[in-house]
Amino acid sequence: MTDLASWPRFAKELTNPALAHEKPEALEDLRVLDVSTGNFAALFASSILAEFGAEVIRIEPPGGDVARLFSPEGVRHRGTGLAYLVEARNKRHITLNLETPPGRNLFVRLARHVDVVIESARPGQMDAWGIGYRQLSESNPRVIYLAFSTHGQFGPRAASAIPDYDITNQALSGAPYTTGEPVGEGPPESSVPTKQGNWMAWYVGGGWGAFAVMAALVWRWTSGRGQFIDCSPAEAEMRFTDYDVHWYHSHKRIRERVGALNTCVFPYTLIKTKDSYSFIAGFSDINWTGLTNIMGRTDLKERFPTTKDRIRESKMLHQELEAWAAELASQEILDRVQDYVANKRGPGTVATARLNRPAETLAETHWWERGVFERIEDPDYGELLLQAPPWKMSRTPPRIKWACRPVGADNEAVYLRYLGLGKERLRALTDEGVL
Amino acid sequence: MTESYFDWTRRLFDRARIFDKPEALRGVRVLELTTLVLGPTTADFLGEFGAEVIKVELPPGGDTMRYVTPEATFWQNASLGFFPENHSKYHIGIDLHAPEGKELFKRLATKSDILVENFRAGTLDKWEIGYRQLRQVNPRLLYIADSGFGQWGPFSQGRASYDAVAQTVSGMIGVTGFPGRPPILCGIFIGDWFGGLMGSIAALVALYYRNKTGEGQFIDLAQSEGLIRSLDWTWVRHGLTGQDRGPVGNCDEAVVPADILACRDGFVALAAGRDAEFRGLCQAMGNPELAKLPRFATLEARQVPANAEVVLGVIRKWASDKTRAELEGLGEKHGFACARVATAEDRYQDEHLRERGTVWSYEDPLYGPMVEHGPAPKLSATPGRIRWSAKPVGWHNAEVLTRLLGLAPSRIKELEEKKVVGKWADRPGAKPPSEWLQAQEQR
Repeated sequence: MTDLASWPRFAKELTNPALAHEKPEALEDLRVLDVSTGNFAALFASSILAEFGAEVIRIEPPGGDVARLFSPEGVRHRGTGLAYLVEARNKRHITLNLETPPGRNLFVRLARHVDVVIESARPGQMDAWGIGYRQLSESNPRVIYLAFSTHGQFGPRAASAIPDYDITNQALSGAPYTTGEPVGEGPPESSVPTKQGNWMAWYVGGGWGAFAVMAALVWRWTSGRGQFIDCSPAEAEMRFTDYDVHWYHSHKRIRERVGALNTCVFPYTLIKTKDSYSFIAGFSDINWTGLTNIMGRTDLKERFPTTKDRIRESKMLHQELEAWAAELASQEILDRVQDYVANKRGPGTVATARLNRPAETLAETHWWERGVFERIEDPDYGELLLQAPPWKMSRTPPRIKWACRPVGADNEAVYLRYLGLGKERLRALTDEGVL
Repeated sequence: MTESYFDWTRRLFDRARIFDKPEALRGVRVLELTTLVLGPTTADFLGEFGAEVIKVELPPGGDTMRYVTPEATFWQNASLGFFPENHSKYHIGIDLHAPEGKELFKRLATKSDILVENFRAGTLDKWEIGYRQLRQVNPRLLYIADSGFGQWGPFSQGRASYDAVAQTVSGMIGVTGFPGRPPILCGIFIGDWFGGLMGSIAALVALYYRNKTGEGQFIDLAQSEGLIRSLDWTWVRHGLTGQDRGPVGNCDEAVVPADILACRDGFVALAAGRDAEFRGLCQAMGNPELAKLPRFATLEARQVPANAEVVLGVIRKWASDKTRAELEGLGEKHGFACARVATAEDRYQDEHLRERGTVWSYEDPLYGPMVEHGPAPKLSATPGRIRWSAKPVGWHNAEVLTRLLGLAPSRIKELEEKKVVGKWADRPGAKPPSEWLQAQEQR
């Protein structure tokens, strides 16, 4: 027999990220070239592989990638923008000018040594330079080649020249069209399709890219063959747009914005509380019973017993929830909910959470205890607060080893190791504008 | 003469040839005991790329997502919300409260490579079919426990979570929307979907490692922690400057200019972060001099909030009387990024997305013509695919229990009578389409 109380202790012993560095790395036999430019989908993809132990070599143009400049208010830390400091983790950094024929020649030679190549050039650009998948796979048929672009590598719009950005990817995905306040609910300038504040499409794109590389690696294990992966961050997030396209197919309905509500269920919503906002959910019939019990409003349960009733009257019911919450701080709501659920004071389960600004998230000990945030002491960039890899794994936990490297910091080590180029040769190549 | 790049890619990724190609995850079996979106997506993504996914539900109601459908409207007795995370799966109904049900589940886990569950932390351990028990019978098992707050830590015990809880506690809602307005939810279940993707990545990494060593492992994936990971420069800035991040509407503080613009027939997103792109944009606006002013000439200068505001004001005014197509065309011509804020209809009717299989039309044996979003990344040698749609509770009971566990029809019937194995409730969401039910009655 096992007892429930010991489960969290067991799970923590098994997966505590504080012990990650004592354990093996799943991808330590993997080598990756990330030659992307100004693209955080690509950078997140290579971050994931690097967190799991791959040797990731970042190729930047001489002077550094423009991604180092993407930073709020123009802030630079030791010459590098804030976003790049997050997605340079565990990567070696070399420079190479692909605009020059000798640079492209060095790239082809490097690519012979790697398992994965990641790029974000305009579709067809690498191929036109003679360094795309068609050419690299001739000398390295095991190579897995991951290309990011907004419209993809094939199809009627593939030749599009537009650069890949998060905001345009989000827009095409369909997510912003369904996010935000409906017309008339607020001032016209804010009652509009609304994007996620973070670079959501880039992160989703990067995640799908890493997923695809891993699937290709699993297949390569038996087939011995690499392949070409075409990943559009717009389509990556599109895959996440629930039933939108199916609803249009079945009912010719277009999903519209509903602000803090949800089109399928109620309540699954944000409500104003005495001191902040809280999310609250109790949308299935039994959980609605639970919530109305907690509120002491069983009359609402009786008047609106079905999901259909609750959706139809969601605006009015939302006001009822806010009237109840007006006298309660978000923490009090959580306490009442937990008391009801943990002590089984009635049927149903309710979920609630206080709306956090990021600083409030940082103040919760839960995340620190779980190693979600880490203060890294980076040899080049000093102490940095970073979000850690999100996985807790028993055998091959991911980890952060260092945060970032200056532009070209690993030129000597990498070019010597893989191409046998010594200092003198590197100096000459630098003078010629190749590195 | 070499084939042109786009002729070659068209041939390489041809949608019509997908079913002639192998699947990356052939021979990988996933056992899924999940509900709603987070757990089902973790398994679904693996299934799209060739894994065999067996979805176990508690009969007769099954997965809660069977009752989450837009405006509470069912379609052919099914929830539209249930389809997008349940493709090509085998659906079986087992009551895991019954000892014989637990035994069946254990036997299935013995024959599986990956197990995905998303119960509250410790629930399956209590039921004695959690990782501690299953690793005894299958040491190669990769066990993924999806949850809101993780398997351990102060918030992990007994606290319910959903997608929007993750959006709320991660800080994501706190950085989204317009300042001074009430907070909004992301229109899609982003915390679930992103968490599911993170979970499936870990499964593949663990599979890769298992190929080398034969070792299984346990994976604890909290969807809130997935979203925290996705908040780009939020945390590093707090660490260096102590600044908190709040909502700024649709513009981007780090890529300037970038914004969503109201135009004559809808909305477009526009971005021109690199200086050359910004010069192209100014050219398109008929105002090339703007790009030469020191306040705007470099990205670093444009990132200063006061300068960004001026630039964005000029762009918004310029775009307001153009159409979406005009603006997209100008982006193409002048080398900045411009794309429509797409509706479901835009995507449904887009030939580009159809040709790419991103909008995937197929015919399901039970539901007929279907149109959904297909696999996201396109793999040339082992492309992902949709084979069939989600099915009613217990649809594949006989098929799976006979094929994998060798149960004879009489034994299955016996287990059904004992309510250990079960099928759908007589309720929209759980049961087959009415036409199918009528046809059964007439037989």
